[in-house]
Amino acid sequence: MKKIIQRILEFSLVGKIALIVIGFFIVLAIFSSQLSHYPYDLPSGAALQPPSREHWMGTDDLGIDIWAQLCYGARVSIMVGFTTAFLSVAGGGLVGVCAGYYGGKIDGWMMRLTDLMMIIPQLPMMIVLGAFFGPSLKNIIFVLTLFSWTAPARIVRSKVLSIKEEKYILVAKSYGAGFFYMIQKHFLPQTFSLMMVSFIQLISRAIVAEAGLSFLGLGDPTSKSWGLMLNHGMAFRGIYFTDFWKWWILFPLVCILTMVLAVSFVGKEIERKEVSSYGKTTTKG
Amino acid sequence: MEKQLLKVEALSVSYHDVKTTVDAVRKADFSLEKGSVLGIIGESGSGKTTIAMAIMGLLKKNAAVEGNIYYDDMKINTLSEKEKNSYRWKHIAIVYQNHLDILNPVMSIYDQITEGIRRHRTHSEKEIEKRMKELCRMVKLDEKWLCHYPHQLSGGMRQKVLIAMALCCEPDLLIVDEPTTALDAVTREEIIDLLIQLQKQKKITMLLISHDMYVMKRLSNRVLVMYEGRVLEEGFTKDVLEKPMHTYTRGLLKASLETNPYQDLWGIPGEDIENKEKGCVFYTRCVQSTQYCQSHSPTLQYISLERKVACNRGGIITLLEGKNISKTYSYKNHLTTACKNCHINIRSGEIIALIGQSGSGKTTLATILSGLLKSDTGEVYFEGKAVEGNNFTKIQQGIQIVFQDPFSASNEGFTIEEVIMEPLEILKLGSIEERIMKVKRVLEEVQLPTSQGFLERQCNSLSGGQRQRLAIARSLVMEPKLLIADEISSMLDPSTKANVLRLLKGLQNTRGFAMLYITHDLMLARKIADGVYVMKEGEIIEEGSSSKIFYHPESDYGRELLGREVEKKEIGYQS
Repeated sequence: MKKIIQRILEFSLVGKIALIVIGFFIVLAIFSSQLSHYPYDLPSGAALQPPSREHWMGTDDLGIDIWAQLCYGARVSIMVGFTTAFLSVAGGGLVGVCAGYYGGKIDGWMMRLTDLMMIIPQLPMMIVLGAFFGPSLKNIIFVLTLFSWTAPARIVRSKVLSIKEEKYILVAKSYGAGFFYMIQKHFLPQTFSLMMVSFIQLISRAIVAEAGLSFLGLGDPTSKSWGLMLNHGMAFRGIYFTDFWKWWILFPLVCILTMVLAVSFVGKEIERKEVSSYGKTTTKG
Repeated sequence: MEKQLLKVEALSVSYHDVKTTVDAVRKADFSLEKGSVLGIIGESGSGKTTIAMAIMGLLKKNAAVEGNIYYDDMKINTLSEKEKNSYRWKHIAIVYQNHLDILNPVMSIYDQITEGIRRHRTHSEKEIEKRMKELCRMVKLDEKWLCHYPHQLSGGMRQKVLIAMALCCEPDLLIVDEPTTALDAVTREEIIDLLIQLQKQKKITMLLISHDMYVMKRLSNRVLVMYEGRVLEEGFTKDVLEKPMHTYTRGLLKASLETNPYQDLWGIPGEDIENKEKGCVFYTRCVQSTQYCQSHSPTLQYISLERKVACNRGGIITLLEGKNISKTYSYKNHLTTACKNCHINIRSGEIIALIGQSGSGKTTLATILSGLLKSDTGEVYFEGKAVEGNNFTKIQQGIQIVFQDPFSASNEGFTIEEVIMEPLEILKLGSIEERIMKVKRVLEEVQLPTSQGFLERQCNSLSGGQRQRLAIARSLVMEPKLLIADEISSMLDPSTKANVLRLLKGLQNTRGFAMLYITHDLMLARKIADGVYVMKEGEIIEEGSSSKIFYHPESDYGRELLGREVEKKEIGYQS
């Protein structure tokens, strides 16, 4: 814990701000029902109201409070982002470690599978799968994960391959160390930071992808995510000829942008730290 | 076969004090053919002189002699004092150890030498004088010294006087006790030459007692190795000195400057224990002792023709045996032969150097020997059992391997404690406290700090030399019997290199583990190795003892390799 705080304190100003932004959205997601007076799925006022004291960010065409939708949408977006990233990194990491550690045929098969996943055009495939499985949050997470595990798998595999050639792995094997010992003691600690970077990158990717899918109408219509809000707004015919877009579209868009930006800044920050520490640890002696 | 002149059977001598009994000789058996020279070597206090005294019948009253001594088929140790006197000096004479107090300070040399002649041969002054001249010529002593007194003579001359005294009655058996101690090199050579000449001319049978290996090598045909009154090894001098089969003999040789001109000297470690009634006398100091040795005393047995060893394990055991090892790497239809029909033998407690150019397959062979790499053909046996996979690297008292690159040998993210404890943790050996104890002990052995702060440091904060020592410590925590060290010193600075090598040599001496040391540094190999294997293009082209390889290489490659090294040295001197 101390280490993490230490790491955060070493962040640049942008990084710190980005972290605060993420924190803000997380708070928003957790306390969404407390933070908004109105329900996110029921009309609570007149339709298409501009921001006012009553409705901070106005209402949509059904008279549903935009602020309430944003708060709730944050919950969905963050959940999708984090869960997808976690599942992809865990699954991809496992595949990468197995492929790197065992090598040979297992490695070959696993990497061919990864290549296959990588060359499939993702968005169309996601749309097809999204449509096939039906619109639900779980399905979105599943579909996103299906296309996100390849990057961490590749990264982890290459790292494991380089670690595997180190003599201390041979030495540990000579003492009879098993696969789990190796992962726990040698591979995981060393690939963890790489996984962390890829985790952060995947979060922003997943948030954008979820927004995209929802925007295309493949999201869960009963839940409100930022993408879905955009979808509804843009679907409103002739919205740009009115002033409605100024709150109905702008607020969710800004939310997506800031969240994704903040996450990538944090990711960059962690990456920067990793790269600079490589040089330090290996040139000593 | 020549006639046995002297035969000693089950000779035991013990000195009785008021309170204690000391066994000086225990059940020694040996025989001496006419005209041969038998040497007895051993540390001081091993009972060499006592045997001589027992044969001469000169032991004091407090010594109890058991067993039989036959001279010319006559049992002599039970003779009366008078009878003893008649054969003593006439048939068996002794050249005493050269002390100043051996000679009577108030008698002239002439009187002292003639004493024996007067007693055993003749009283005619004329004959005595003739005999004296003969003796002086024989031992190359100027006659003018005869009228001097012992304190006026130099050490070498006194030795000659002692030899002359022993020879005065033309004995058949001459016992020579430490003929060259305290003599300078030139005099020593002179005395040795003299003894050889006398032995050849007169066909005297000699019993030579010495701890000087050089004297042994020059003079004796056969040799007995004694420890604590027991004969531990017997054989032809050449064989025994070249290939000792008892750990004690090897220890003596390693401590001898004559046999290791380039190597460090190491004494035999360990202390004697008092009570040795049961078990092997060398048990406490032996590096390959087992529980069995503690309770069972070994007997002197033949292990090969004309070679006897008293050891429960049949002499120095062969620890690792590699037979017919071949390995070929293939890459894109291109075959590289790393090892071709390699044979290698490592005996317990030995340092074997594997030398050769880089790319000659040394590391491949070493990794195969450790079991971590599978060979295409051939078998490796460790203490008679086949080495497969990690079956000997994962046990204590097995094989450990230390690699060339210290930075790759330990995980940077680990703390020092974690690195060394890793094998114990993987194998779940001992409790946490025991593990920490072990870690501290090996750290001490490799001269690293053992403070808590140091243990918790990450190993990327250590220097290359420290990392290498860390890797060695991790191997030592498994208490290996065989350590395979792959170029471990090539990345170290000279001072650390010296420290690490001395450390390993010291550990080898005290713990007795064997080491396969892979290097391309020939001078280093000469410095530390007992045996050398030379590898070229995957084949072992030459093998032998260190002295043989470095002085008389047989193969062209060996000569070339050494020639270069010598050249390099000469250039070093010139510049």
